[in-house]
Amino acid sequence: MKLLKKRKTLLWTRSIMSFLLGVLFMMPVFLIIMNSFKPNKEILASFISLPKSLYIDNFVEALKIMNFNIVFRNTILVTVFTVLLTCVVSFLCAYGLTHIKKKFSDKIYLLFVLGQIIPFHTVMISVAVLAAKTHLNNSLLGLVIFNSGFFTAFGVMTYVGFLKSVPRELEESAALDGCGPARTMIQIIFPLLKSTTVTLAVLFFLWTWNDYLLPSILIGEEKLRTITVNLYVFKSATNAQWNLLIAGLTVSMLPVILVYIVAQKFITSGLTAGAIKS
Amino acid sequence: MSDLLHKKNQKFYYLLIVPAFGLYMFALIIPLALGTIPSSFQKWSLLEQDKTFIGFDNYIKLFSDATFLHSLVFTIVLALFTILGTNIISFFVALLLDNKVYGKSITRSFFFIPNIISGVIVAFVWSFIFTGAIPTIADKLGMIWLAELSWFGSGGTAAFTVILVSIWQATGFLMILYIAGLQTIPKDVVEAAQLDGCTGFRKVRLIYIPLLMPTFTINLFVSIAGAFKAFDIPLALTGGGPFKSTQTVALNIYNDAFKTYQTGYASAKSVILLLIVAVIAIIQLRVTRKREVQY
Repeated sequence: MKLLKKRKTLLWTRSIMSFLLGVLFMMPVFLIIMNSFKPNKEILASFISLPKSLYIDNFVEALKIMNFNIVFRNTILVTVFTVLLTCVVSFLCAYGLTHIKKKFSDKIYLLFVLGQIIPFHTVMISVAVLAAKTHLNNSLLGLVIFNSGFFTAFGVMTYVGFLKSVPRELEESAALDGCGPARTMIQIIFPLLKSTTVTLAVLFFLWTWNDYLLPSILIGEEKLRTITVNLYVFKSATNAQWNLLIAGLTVSMLPVILVYIVAQKFITSGLTAGAIKS
Repeated sequence: MSDLLHKKNQKFYYLLIVPAFGLYMFALIIPLALGTIPSSFQKWSLLEQDKTFIGFDNYIKLFSDATFLHSLVFTIVLALFTILGTNIISFFVALLLDNKVYGKSITRSFFFIPNIISGVIVAFVWSFIFTGAIPTIADKLGMIWLAELSWFGSGGTAAFTVILVSIWQATGFLMILYIAGLQTIPKDVVEAAQLDGCTGFRKVRLIYIPLLMPTFTINLFVSIAGAFKAFDIPLALTGGGPFKSTQTVALNIYNDAFKTYQTGYASAKSVILLLIVAVIAIIQLRVTRKREVQY
């Protein structure tokens, strides 16, 4: 009985200790969120004191000055279409690759694997030149196309990995029942890969939403900016308005954190799979 | 049966490959093969139309370019500190959270969330910590030197901020990998060791560390490859300054390409960066594959 009690105390100590460590680790984020509810004067007076009242003018003004309605719309459009396009073409390609002559599919697959090694920074100059030549600069469509192009390598590799474990008998019996190849692919096989698709969708969401480099290279027009570029430009242009930038940071972090909370399981499994494969 | 079925629909299956392959070639392979690599042998500025073939001159110039060499050294220093810092912290956090703990998933999220926030935003969050929170706290504690320290004023302190923030962002990811690794260690091995009186730090050193070797190798290479691509955090935190002291290779290429428009020269630097990352990735693939054999 005594031992059991001692164990329970140990468990509680350990739990509280690790929780507090976690809170300490997240402190920078908490401090930003906390300060976004304080007027500028109060922020400058003390960065670490709790807000005296819930002051929301920062958000109202930040949303207006930084054109957050347009910026959010741009970011959401680019992210949604990138996720959709990349998932669809990656699945189709992986399905095709697992159904054609091995000699040929191995070669294509190897080319996709090699692409994983290329850091974006080493092609950014040529991408900027190519985008200008094809009039894909200053366009949200351009962002979607280039993002999808970069992400397909990872998408195809992941889908191929999972498609290999799907038994062929399933497709054969579907064919015997009179199911055409397209219908077999869409109605029989695709639903089996639901969790792979969700994992990939979440990763593509994060990569697109958080990206700074590609939109900063391709987009010059103010009304086409995405979130991170917009914040970067705002910070460089106005170094003094802390309260607005802090509110902007809070607003920009929240969607990502929300997606994380909803899709926690898939994000962690996707990231571990990605690390081990790539 | 299966072969027959597949032969009948071969055309359909080949067609499926086209969209992804086309996008991939357009976005990555063509820019690399027809853009970056040929340009690296040219004297070319983005502002001019004419390009002249100059062979390896850009590459030769690289080796006497003090700014580039410094960026390479800084990238290696950043890599070393980040690799050590992230691995040590995430390993101990993983050990703590691998135990039975209440509120485990919330606590894990606290460590992991920095990893999913954009590098630019992470850097801005921390620039407030360095210029706002730390001086306030130091002031309250009466540590005047700390309150008055200009974090972004000297090369040493600026490098420290980049390293600290990079560690903060990368820790959560490695923690997940360590937790995944810890879960593969059989419980009876650990229990047997405990019965033999092997506890505490001895248990970590004699049981966990040897059994986690595969995870260590993966984490090591993940962090090395990541460090050589470091861009967002130094750009948004220090801008590479003061006096280019915190400029990474990726940032150096970016500045050459889009600030001073030395397109050909920046392409040569890109090829060097690609070679470095490729060598790391190839080693990683080999190590990972060796690990697969062990199972």
